[in-house]
Amino acid sequence: MKEMFTRRRIMFGAGGAVLLAGGAYEGRRLLRKRYAPSPYDDLLAQLDDRDADAQIGEAVLADIDDFDAKTVSESVRARLAHQSLAQAAVADATEDRLLEANGWVIPETLGLLCALAAKAE
Amino acid sequence: MALALANTPLRVVLLESGGMTFDAKTQALYAGAEVGAPYLPLDTTRMRYLGGSTNHWGGWCRPMDDIDFEERTWMPYSGWPFGRKALEPYYARAQALCEAGPFIYDKAFKWSSDQGPTIALGDGGVITRWFQFSKMRGSVLPTHFGDRYAEDLRRVPRLSTYLHANVTRLGLDGGGAKINQLDVQTLNGKRFTLKPKYTVLAMGAVEIARLMLASNDVNPAGVGNENDLVGRFFADHPIPRDTATLVLFDGKLAPFYQNNQIIHGAIMRAGLFPSEDFRRKNAVMDSSTTIENKTELDDLGKAAVAAAAAALGVDASNATAYSLGCGMEITPDPNRRFTLDTGRDALGLPRLKLHMRLADTDFARFRQTLKELGRQLLEARTGMLRLNLKTRGQWLDGLDWGNHHMGTTRMHVDPRKGVVDANLQVHGISNLFVAGSAVYPTYSAANPTVNLLALALRLVDHLKGLPR
Repeated sequence: MKEMFTRRRIMFGAGGAVLLAGGAYEGRRLLRKRYAPSPYDDLLAQLDDRDADAQIGEAVLADIDDFDAKTVSESVRARLAHQSLAQAAVADATEDRLLEANGWVIPETLGLLCALAAKAE
Repeated sequence: MALALANTPLRVVLLESGGMTFDAKTQALYAGAEVGAPYLPLDTTRMRYLGGSTNHWGGWCRPMDDIDFEERTWMPYSGWPFGRKALEPYYARAQALCEAGPFIYDKAFKWSSDQGPTIALGDGGVITRWFQFSKMRGSVLPTHFGDRYAEDLRRVPRLSTYLHANVTRLGLDGGGAKINQLDVQTLNGKRFTLKPKYTVLAMGAVEIARLMLASNDVNPAGVGNENDLVGRFFADHPIPRDTATLVLFDGKLAPFYQNNQIIHGAIMRAGLFPSEDFRRKNAVMDSSTTIENKTELDDLGKAAVAAAAAALGVDASNATAYSLGCGMEITPDPNRRFTLDTGRDALGLPRLKLHMRLADTDFARFRQTLKELGRQLLEARTGMLRLNLKTRGQWLDGLDWGNHHMGTTRMHVDPRKGVVDANLQVHGISNLFVAGSAVYPTYSAANPTVNLLALALRLVDHLKGLPR
């Protein structure tokens, strides 16, 4: 009897933990900032902190007169089709494809992703 | 030079405007006017007593590179009459005079790893190179040549040193081809003359120009100034503050980048320099970049570091930011010049007016080098860089200078393009020579002392071979 009670408590406890974890997951999902859909959400998914990266993007855009989001997104999508962002970023540095964000020298692919994040806001 | 001539039959007279220590009235002889781009007051940017500006130097030493002597199509007025090889026999002695220890410089990497690695950079234009420093006494001063060598000067039997003795006129003979008299005056009114066989002007690039321009009783344009070159091409090394912010993702920086360290018996510090190849291929000027203090990033900076590190797939949880300092070479400019002004000093000599200019292209070229450093940091996934200065106003705000006066009696084999020839003899005047960085046709970013000493020692060898 005592053993049964203990098992029941354990089961109850475990169920509670599952419910709590599920609630926390759902809470994070609900609390997570929602963004309006954009034609390049697949690209923006590569960014860790979209709000911060959009700030960088604003700084990048300040130096670019004729930024065309559609063309840029197609170009970045092509670049990332067969390599990771890390590979693309190093390749950018190696091949001197750089952008400035308020003076910060960053790989072009990252800069363009950030600019797209800014445009998507 | 006087010491280097000690063991020759030559009788040498050394005329020093100042005494053994700073004197305000003597220093005031340096005052002058300035127009144009901001520069330092002319009476604070140099020192007028025995040892000259070694009395306030920082002890930084670094020889010039081969490229510094080359003619570069993209750099107007570039090209020395000889290459670095002509100075190489003299660098060791120049280094010894500076008391800068063994001649190591870029060989330091052989021993520096005990203290930490050099910054990993991708292949490219910026590399770690090394300064050496003049010996420190206690924790204060590098070698002050007046203090250090005064006793040695006293011991030279055929040398007479006159303190407080200001040369106020270079007296040309009637034909204007030879100096036959020097007028000398003290601030308390004593006057005397010398009739030297040979004269060497070693008063710094500013004062040499003034004396040559002011000695205009025979030639109205001044001594050695038939082609209107004396006083032109003045240069110094601009030192813009906080030019860039360097972030190292792992936060690890070897101590020799920030502070002087003893390496293999020498006092050394590492800096980041454009390679000679990079300078040639990209038409950029010389520069030296040093890592200064830790600095805090603003929100955008923190975001940029986080984003770049994440994109590169590296951990930046220990990222540390540093401000960068620098010394820049500037393009030779004939209109950055000294002219005689209307006012006169206490000795009756005309004061100088500096017409200062700074080209935006020089800042842009240095920015290109910094950007290359940023590229290499990203390529190596080591860190990243922020270029802090962009507009002319930003570059000029808080701009400091090296107090390295150069160029006013530039060297060229053609008298139409230079004041002195390859032997540092003033064109057209058989017994007048110039020692010091006044003769530099281009300026490098290397601190001038060890280089101008090598040039002066080379001149000594030339003087030894002249007819007596």
